[in-house]
Parts: sequence; C-alpha cells; structure tokens
Amino acid sequence: MKDISKSINKVDNEEKISGSAEYIADIKMDGMLYAMTLRSSIVKGEIIKISYPKIPDNYYVIDHKDVQGKNIVKIIYDDMPIFTTKKISYLHEPIALVIGPEKEKIVEILDSIEIKYKEEEPQFEWEDSVVDFHFDKGEGERVFDHADKVISYDYETGYQEQAYIETQGFIGYQDGDKTTLIGSIQCPYYVKNALIQALDSEPENVRVIQSTVGGAFGGKEEFPSLIGCQLAVAVKKIKKPIQLIYEREEDMLVTTKRHPAKIHFDAAIKENKIKGIKAHVGIDGGATIGLSGVVLSRAMLACSGAYTIDNLDITGDVYKTNTVPNGAFRGFGAPQMMFAIEMFVEHIAKDLNIDPLEFRKSILAKQNDHTSTNGVYRDPILMPEMIEKAMKESDYLRKKKAYANPNIFKGIGMSFFFHGCGFTGSGEKKIIKARVRLRKHKNNKAEILIAAVDMGQGVKTTFRKLVANILEIDIENVIFNNPDTDYVPDSGPTVASRTMMIVGGLVARAAKEMKQRWREDEFVVEKQYKQPDYIKYDEENFIGDAYPAYSWGVNVVEVEVSKTTYQVKLVKTWSVYDGGKAIDEKVVLGQADGGLAQGVGYGYLEVMNHKQGKIQQKNMTDYIIPTAKDMPDMETYLYDNPYAFGPYGAKGVGELTLVGGAPAVAKAIENAINKRIYKIPVTPEYIMELINNAKN
Amino acid sequence: MVDGLIAKSLNEALEALDNKEYQIVAGGTDMLIQNRSHSGMNIDYKKDVLYINLIDELDFIKVDEKNLYIGANTRLETILESKLVPQILRDVVIEMASPGIRHTATLAGNIGNASPAGDSLVVLYLLDCELEIKSLTKTRKVLLKDFITGVRKIALNKNELITKLIIPKINLTDCYFHKVGPRLSDAISKLSFACGYSVENSIIKDLRVAFGAVYVTVVRSREVEGKFIGQSVNDLKANLDDIINAYEPLIKPIDDQRSNRVYRKNVAINLLREFIENIKED
Amino acid sequence: MPKIEFKLNDKLVTVHSTANRRLLDVLREDFNLTGPKEGCGEGECGACAVLLNHKIVNSCCTPLANVDGQEIVTIEGFSKTKRYQIIKDAFAEMGGVQCGFCTPGMVIATESLLNKNPHPNDEEIRIALSGNLCRCTGYNMIIKSIQKAAKDGDGIW
Repeated sequence: MKDISKSINKVDNEEKISGSAEYIADIKMDGMLYAMTLRSSIVKGEIIKISYPKIPDNYYVIDHKDVQGKNIVKIIYDDMPIFTTKKISYLHEPIALVIGPEKEKIVEILDSIEIKYKEEEPQFEWEDSVVDFHFDKGEGERVFDHADKVISYDYETGYQEQAYIETQGFIGYQDGDKTTLIGSIQCPYYVKNALIQALDSEPENVRVIQSTVGGAFGGKEEFPSLIGCQLAVAVKKIKKPIQLIYEREEDMLVTTKRHPAKIHFDAAIKENKIKGIKAHVGIDGGATIGLSGVVLSRAMLACSGAYTIDNLDITGDVYKTNTVPNGAFRGFGAPQMMFAIEMFVEHIAKDLNIDPLEFRKSILAKQNDHTSTNGVYRDPILMPEMIEKAMKESDYLRKKKAYANPNIFKGIGMSFFFHGCGFTGSGEKKIIKARVRLRKHKNNKAEILIAAVDMGQGVKTTFRKLVANILEIDIENVIFNNPDTDYVPDSGPTVASRTMMIVGGLVARAAKEMKQRWREDEFVVEKQYKQPDYIKYDEENFIGDAYPAYSWGVNVVEVEVSKTTYQVKLVKTWSVYDGGKAIDEKVVLGQADGGLAQGVGYGYLEVMNHKQGKIQQKNMTDYIIPTAKDMPDMETYLYDNPYAFGPYGAKGVGELTLVGGAPAVAKAIENAINKRIYKIPVTPEYIMELINNAKN
Repeated sequence: MVDGLIAKSLNEALEALDNKEYQIVAGGTDMLIQNRSHSGMNIDYKKDVLYINLIDELDFIKVDEKNLYIGANTRLETILESKLVPQILRDVVIEMASPGIRHTATLAGNIGNASPAGDSLVVLYLLDCELEIKSLTKTRKVLLKDFITGVRKIALNKNELITKLIIPKINLTDCYFHKVGPRLSDAISKLSFACGYSVENSIIKDLRVAFGAVYVTVVRSREVEGKFIGQSVNDLKANLDDIINAYEPLIKPIDDQRSNRVYRKNVAINLLREFIENIKED
Repeated sequence: MPKIEFKLNDKLVTVHSTANRRLLDVLREDFNLTGPKEGCGEGECGACAVLLNHKIVNSCCTPLANVDGQEIVTIEGFSKTKRYQIIKDAFAEMGGVQCGFCTPGMVIATESLLNKNPHPNDEEIRIALSGNLCRCTGYNMIIKSIQKAAKDGDGIW
C-alpha cells in the first residue's frame, strides 16, 4: 500500500493562484447595501443620548433595539452584547450599524451622529478576576515544606495579532423567513447557533455558508459570531443583501487578539532537582470574557511543558480590563505558558549551575508518566530521538559552545514542547458531539459533508485524499464543498488542532463503512464522536486526561544580534515534529513553516500594546509581521508516531508548530547576549536594556 | 468633490499651478495613504490634485563634471539600477521601499512629503543635495536642508514644482547608510544614519554625519563636522567622546508606537561610534 | 467627467470618472477583476499587486490618474500566459499556496522579478518579495516555488 503521507498538489491551487477563488469581498449581490459600524469614542461609561441626523430613504441605523432575540453573542458567558444598550466597556465598542447603498453617505451619517456619554474611570490594572481556576498534582504546595530552596521568576508575554491578510467580513441576505450569511469564518455552526439566539429564529431559518477564507489563525473562531449577529439582525429587518467587511484599521483595533499574560513561578528545589512547581497565570481577558476561561485552562494545563513534574500547585485568573476583548489565536494559551516554562526550567538550571540541556533532558516526560492533571501520556513519546535529530542537523552543541563567547553576538536556542490535541477536557464529548456525513452519489462519487473550514491549512486536500485512499477511488471522485449549514452536519469548529484527528477520524470511519457498501447506489453514512473509554476527565477539579492525545516538537533557532542596533537576525531554523502521521507531508510541512514563523514572530518581532485602552498598532505598517527578508531558511523533519484513534494515526499539528517558536528564539537571543530573558517579544529596545543593565 | 488634473508636460503642470493651488501627487504611494478614506471610495484629498507622474521630461538621470541630476519624476527603481548614482543612494533606495513602491515612488515625492522618518532624506542631506524648483516664470535652486522646514513642512510656493535633484559629485573614501527598522525590510525606520569621510595622508579632509528620525528634521551639523575636519585619523579617534558629546544635544528623539527615545538615542550614538572607530587611515 | 484610457490585460479600456480613485477600486469595481485583493490598503502587504508597464506596483496606492495611457496587467490577464503556467505549476508543486489571499500578488511579484532577473539567488528572491506579506507559509515554500519557476522557465524570461 502506498504511504498516505506522500504529497499531492493541493486541490484548490488552481483557483487560488489564478485569483479566481471567491473571498468574501469578491462576492457582489444585486442591490447590495454596505454596512459600517458606529463605535464608542470613550473607553468606559454610559451613553446618555445619541442624536442621529435625519436618515435618508434607503439608509438605516440598526442597534440593540432591533435585536429580535437575545442581545447577547452566544459564546460561553452571556457577557458580550451584540450592540451595546448603553454601557461602554472598551474603546470602539459597537453601538449600531449604519447601512445604505453609498459608502460616502454612510460615512457622512456616521460623522454627524452625536453621542453624549457619562465617562467613568477605566480599569487597566489586572485586578478584577472574572474567572479563576486552581489545581494540584501530587503533594501540591506542601512539597515546598521540605525544599532546600525555592527559585522564583516572573515571565511576561504581550499581545499578538492574528494578522490574517484577509480581514473579517460577511455578506447577508434574506429569503422569505430565512436569513443567510456568507462569511470568512472558521466555525459555521458557532455563527449559526449565535444567529438562532440573536434572531430568535428557528434553526431551519438560519443558514451560514463559508466563503474562501484568507487566513484565520483563531481570529475567525468566535469574533465572527459578533459581527455575524449584527449583520443578521440588519438583514432580517431590512430584507436586502448587505455587506459588512472590515478594513484593516478597524480589524486591528477591534478584533480579538492573543491574551497578554503574566506568569509567576516558584520551584521547590531539593538536591538540585525540581520537586515541585507552584505557578500563577494571569491573562488579560479584555472587556468581555469570551473564550478567555478556556484559553486560561489550556495555559495552566501546559504548565509543566514537555517535562514531568510530580508536584504542582497551579492557579490562574482571567482579569477583566477596559480593553478590546482578547480571544482565540493558534495555540490558545499554550504559547504563553510554553515560553514561560521553557525559560523557567533553563533559568533554574543556570541558578543551580547545571548544564541546562542535561537538566532538561533529565526531566522530559516519558510514556506512562502523569500529565499535569494526573492524566497519562499513554502513547510513546519520541522526544529523546527527536532532540538528537534536531541537535545533529543544527550542529547545536558546537554552536552553543562557540557562541558562549560574549563578543560574537550569535546564539542558538532549542525549545521542547507539546500540544494537547483537540478540545480541552470533555469538550468533545459533552459540548461538541461532532457528527460527520459521507454521501455516496449514483455516479460513484463520494461527498464529504462536514463543517470543517479550509482556511489555508489544506483541509479540502487532506480530507479528499483521506477518503479517496480509504475508498480506493480517484481524488477527483471525492467532493468537498465549502461548508453550508443547510447541507453539512455540525462536525464542530475548525479549531484546537482537532480537525484531522477528531473529524478526520470520524470521516475515516464513515469511509470504511462506505467502502463495505460501495455497491449500493446512493446512501449516506453518518458517524458521531465517541470518546475512547479510557479518557476520563473531571472538569471541575482538573483531574484526568485533559486531551486524548499529544503532539510533540523540538525547535532550534539560530540568531545573530547586532551589537550596535540590538536588532535580531534569524539565521536558520530546524524543527522536528511528532504529529502522529502526516495525511499529506507537504501540507504538514507548510503548517510547520507558517506556525514557526508566527511563533518566532511572537517571540522577537511582533509588538502590540495599548495606551489607555487604545491599541497603538492600527495597521500593517505599525504592526510588524515577518517579511520574506526576515524569515530564514527553515528545515523540518517529521516523525511518525501513529495515534490509534486518528485517521492513519494522525494527531494535531496546526497549533503545535507555533508554540515552540517563542522560547526557541528567546533562548537563542539569551545565548547571543549572555543575559536572561523574562519577556516576549524580545525587542531591540529590551535587548538594549538587558545588555546595559541586567545580570547574566 | 475635488478635481484631479493629469499633467503630461512640465509646462502644463506649471501653468496649472500658476492658475490655482493644487495638492501635487507624484507616485502617490504616500499621498494615497495619507488621504485614504474607505475601500471603494474616492481618495479623500482636501484640495484639487495635480498628478505629475506622467511628465516624461522629468524622468532622467544625468551627470556633468560637477553634479548628478535626478529628474523629479525618476522612479526609485531607475535610481537603484543606475550606475551613475552613488552607491549610498542606491543602498537607501533598496532599504526604504519594496519593489511595488519603487516602481512608482520618486525622491522628489519623498522630499515634498518631508516625513521625519523618510530614509532618503538622510542620505540626500549627507550628499548636500540641492533642488531645482520651477514656476512658470522662475527657476530657483535651494539646498534641501533649507527647503525642509519641519515635519511635513516645506518651503515651496504654491505655484512651484520641484523639477530636479542636484547632487554634487564628491569624493569620499567611504560612506554608508544604516537603516534601523523594526524588521529587515519594508518598514518605517525607528531611526536611520548616514555617514561618510575622506582621508588624505592620514588627515580627515571631509567628515559627514546625518541622522534620521531623531528630531523633527534630519540632523546634520556642518558646525560639528567642521570641528573635526583637519584632524588626523588618530586624533579623531582619540576624540571620540568629544564627537559624541557634540552630537548628543542634537539628537532629540521621541517615544512612539515604533520605538522609544532611549533606544533611538542610544543606537544613534552607537552608530556614530561605530563609524568613527572604523575610519581607516588611507 | 475626465476620461482615462489605458491598456488593461491587452485591451484598451476607458474609465469615465474622477482621476482621484485608487486603481484597486477601479479594477475590482469597474472591471470586476477581483484577483487583486485589498489586504491592508496602504502598500504594505502586496495583495493588491498588479503589473504597471510590466513592473509590480501596489494598486491600492496607485491613483487611477497615474495609469493614463499606460499598460496594466492583473493576475486575470497574466494567467493567460505561458510564464504564468510555469509559475503556477511551481507554486502548486512546491507548496507555495495556503490561504491563497496573498497568492495572486506573489505571482505578480514573481513575474516582475523574473522579467528583470531570470536567475535570481535566494537573497534576490527575498528582496523581491519584501513587499508581499504572507501570514501562512513563513515564505519558505514560496521561495522554493520561485526557485523552481526560474529553473523550469529557463529561457522563457
């Protein structure tokens, strides 16, 4: 049998390269109106009065009074209004949509709306905890009672913007009682369910269709539910097609970003070994909670990194501040923690005068070890050989030694990391309950009916390939259209590195059944997710298997730092990943390159901050992502380590490839400047500060 | 709605300018961004626009024994590719703009825009660039440093147009440009630095230093340079602290979303130090 | 109304409108050429790239006025050429495409580069792409795609 990993060309290459693929802004409908958003100009307070100018015919203002259902965006907590009623809790909070045929006129209307506010003192300090979690492992805090000493450090991470090149957007239209939205989204059913609640419509009267998505990275996970609800409310009322597309500045200022985090660690040290770790993770949720609690729990679960630590006492808080709400971004809490724990273990070794590499290798997690929540790493862990490979290919030891010379300003850094695949905890079993369908058509074609979105990560290619392989038919005979909720079942959101492992696993099961029945003319196979019996998780107390499987990785990054300008130049990267089994090698390598680029960008380049609640980087000129000149040659090696419940053994890879980038580049810079790094991004300004002031 | 007039000849442009006040637009790569409105809407210019990008007679690079002449409409890409242009100017062009920008943007446009972070200005100051400015009735010349009077402020009368850049031929032993951007290409500078010198018989005959984005305009001081011209290379290096002290008060950067004043100042001085330390005796 | 004439994808076209418009809007709205995309609206990302007289420009910061009498080729026009076929095959083969939003701009940048320099080295390719942002690929496979296009298209540029 031929190896499934052997690459084929992606199925959507032709339309994307030729520019004929239809992204949301490329779709025009007859009589289509445009919508723009009226936003608050204050950070916190109340609206006293809004004075609208006379609104001309065929122009509309849609606000909270027009919401037919519940004025809440259905995410997890009921704390985000679709349009504010009067309370303002962050700058540029949406108040209304102004809609009409001519943008010039809409802008004129927006400019002449007067709003009177009562301003209140905004909260930017991380004090108001709205979600807090705690869990222990082993002896928990008591292990500190018999420690020789305690080593403590604090780490900090900044905002990160998804910076998909295609901004957020939807087009909506009404057809009788039915409201339809087409959009650049990751999760058609998140939007659909949010719409049902907002419109108070029957499920059959709400339809959500995915257009070609120009990048998402988590940024189109929950945020589209907000603007989708706004637009749907307008569409249902006005009954004309309406387009709501953000321009870059609006997108940068108001959409969700990666949560800034502060992580405090104490390690109980006995006989030069880590006996236990106590940690507190604080993340800035912004003005509404959204997915912040889930992000926090993933961060906390990753607290021991790729290592096994027997005793843990982990607490975490989501703080509410009067800033733009933060949300999903590839990695989902893990990048913050993976940076912190990787630096902390390195710094402990340095404090103990032990070679950090040997120290880290000695505590690596092994098969059958207990996870941070006393679950079990059931599958083999290949880290020792993966590390060996990364070190050999990068000539790590020789470089590390040579670069210890403080005058040459070169450095090499290596991170070890994992990512829990799929939803955290019992999410898959209790909340998502994924369903997939496979339809056999008369003409011997098979159609995949799932809600998974191809946002560039190659789902269309890998799923068609998967089904074609199992059915032993040509890939041309497997159909996979962009999800449309009228036709596909809810296979869950396209997030959490779950698509191939969970949804693909179900599709593979369906395909196997279809193969048995292939002689039949026309039929549908449906499969629903069933958690492997051995996976048990106590959500409340954080006990058990938080994930069904884990992917693993090693990143090596080499840098040069300028003595004069403190700028960092990436020289090369080497990566080794265990994602179970690649359904298509080229697709996984593409994820590897792009994930690492975002990970290292997060580590040294991408600066975003707010000043009194206002995001300072409001365009792609100010928010710096890597160009082709910044990125170096990247070398990647994939290890097979099949997971029994993934199709052909596949686990998650989308997020894995991002989480190790920041610690690897930070360690490389540490090596180059001989100073310790405690926060990312490691900007030239920070490097200057360290070189001029910090201890080694 | 404002008007847009496309001039195809210099005379047409000057006549138009003589008639009324226009916003002059060359490549448009800065002006379109500064006057953006919304996708699909007209560009939000505040006054009528005169487009000069298609005036072919202003697209040239020429030299004589004394000077290099660059037409106001000469694209950055043409400058980059021309062997007549000093390397330092070609270096700044490749560092300051991506190919898409280089194919339409012009140096005269950069000058007219007078951004404090404009990289090309730093090198043009260093090279003592002069401008030829024309109106329908008059041609005048002005030193670039006298032309730029502040952040986005220039000494151009409303009936005038920059027609060419005049760059004196000078013989420097070495000169270079150093851009300090937030990434390695295609980004607005945190600061920039240009420098050059010539040495004869171990004596400094010429010494030039210019800093960008550390003050409202490019910082170049003939006075400070003059103090050190005539010294031997060894003396100059021994006087490094004096040089730094002389420049220190001139470097007054700000904090903004791109960087902070401490970094800008520190790095400006590091670059100055590096330049002086690397000066070679003949 | 002013009248602006230019050659668009090999055809002479006339636009009757103010010159104070972005070329990007004219292409997308008047001619329904949606291959050029708006990513940032300020010349930073290159998703809107087109060829102006065979050279890459950002159509989001090119005024309509500046193309009067000039020649514009968008990805739609370029995709009818042999050069495009070579670039397309190379991008497909080497994994240069993910979400695809930057891709037409990347193809235009590739053509502009190879037209001037048919055998670029790695550094020259990276410089040529410096005005085209991609958030998906880390550029690695795009660089390899262009290397392959240069090799496969030897003699065509």
